[in-house]
Amino acid sequence: MTIDIPFIWTALKEIIKALPVTMMLTIIPLIAGFAIGLMVALIRVYKVRILNPIANGYVSFLRGTPIIMHIMLIYFGLPLFIDAAAEMFGLRGQSQLIPISIFVLFALSLSAGAYLSEAIRSGISSISKGQTEAAYSVGMNTFQMMTRIVLPQALAQSIPNLTNIFIGFLHTSSIAFIVSQKELTGAANIVASTNLKFLEAFIAAGLIYWLLTILAESISSFIEKKATAYVKGGVR
Amino acid sequence: MIELKGIKKTFHRQEVLKGVDIKVEKGQVVTILGPSGSGKTTLLRCVNFLEQPDEGTVQVGDITIQAQEAKKKEIISLRKQSAMVFQHYNLFAHKTVIENVMEGLIVAQKVKKAEARKRSEQVLAKVGLSDKLNQYPSQLSGGQQQRVGIARALALNPQVILFDEPTSALDPELVGEVLAVIKSIAKEGITMVIVTHEMSFAREVSDHVLFMDGGVIVEEGTPEDVFQKPKQERTKRFLRRLSGETEDSLLQQPQPQLQTEKSPNILPEGVAGHVV
Repeated sequence: MTIDIPFIWTALKEIIKALPVTMMLTIIPLIAGFAIGLMVALIRVYKVRILNPIANGYVSFLRGTPIIMHIMLIYFGLPLFIDAAAEMFGLRGQSQLIPISIFVLFALSLSAGAYLSEAIRSGISSISKGQTEAAYSVGMNTFQMMTRIVLPQALAQSIPNLTNIFIGFLHTSSIAFIVSQKELTGAANIVASTNLKFLEAFIAAGLIYWLLTILAESISSFIEKKATAYVKGGVR
Repeated sequence: MIELKGIKKTFHRQEVLKGVDIKVEKGQVVTILGPSGSGKTTLLRCVNFLEQPDEGTVQVGDITIQAQEAKKKEIISLRKQSAMVFQHYNLFAHKTVIENVMEGLIVAQKVKKAEARKRSEQVLAKVGLSDKLNQYPSQLSGGQQQRVGIARALALNPQVILFDEPTSALDPELVGEVLAVIKSIAKEGITMVIVTHEMSFAREVSDHVLFMDGGVIVEEGTPEDVFQKPKQERTKRFLRRLSGETEDSLLQQPQPQLQTEKSPNILPEGVAGHVV
């Protein structure tokens, strides 16, 4: 077996056309997941009645099962619900009109929410209780205390964790290809099988993921340096 | 000014406050003394509801709250009557010195930014930190951080400032500068309630002294009454033990102990001018 090195470049140029799909499958779930995660984290930190056990169950189940499972459950399960609901309102076969990518995005958002909530929660609990008390003592309410004092520091502290999750989801978006999404891995698969050059195509896809990861890491460490400059005082 | 009536608080079945009444007049400096675990810090924290009493009434300034039926809004308006200086300073770590002082003014009191900055600069000058406005707390010494804490409280222009063991976490050589600042603001006639272990400081600065033990006030009166002619056996024992400790440490290290008493001489630069 030989390896066609120049073809890696050809494949790369072809595969990278699918980059927008991969970015969409990564960034949209992370944004939606951030909103879910923040809410879940606050519910768990404040042990909100009724919602707290639900939030606990959500995080436990989604972190306790593989993400591919979430995609499968949503992809095969959600249409049943939608069709049942549609039938109730006298509509029929509605779930077939929904693009597959919506199911994938939905599933990935739920997974991201669970992972992000844990990162945010650990950020919140890393902020000393004393600062919360100081905020109350100057007359702030809970919302002001959270938005002005705790969350800015909590999020700055969680940047490394958030970056890990970003990278994880960048790679995880590749499993969307099993439900025929044409993102980087899906595109690599097509290029590979049409040209019968599997190794070259997947090397090319691998290089793209690697570069994206390096890029994400360097952006993150730049932001982290800026955002946590306040702790690097040195003098004690 | 401040009146607490029948304050009771229980933590995990242990009764920390067993029905405490205190009264502080406007302009008074009241110190609360007592051994560890006597409930003095808890009592202080009940004044601004950082600890919610199980029973009793808390009145600060114009606001009166019944402990059992306290609503969130009432608690916030009660807190706006006072300001607190904490044992561990509790500065906002992501904000600079001046931002720490401005924060309460802007967010809680809705003061305009320019006005808040002006007031903050004034109080920071008062505590001798005019040259540190744009530093972060992590760049300051403990004594400087605590002076920022005092400035943050002063800037709010509260009815009363609550001090929770303001020098207990400080290195011995930094205690003097913080006590000096507290003394200087006491002279301005600001009402203060201070929980402290610094006996000579308490004696010098207070108008009224409370001695607590086991969740009740054992004895109270002027500093002369409590320190020189205590009536209760418990108070005598506490003071004897403390003076015993002081003598021991005096034998080993005479200088630092005396410093706190003669603090005007050891003021850091910048503070001295404002004390006189």
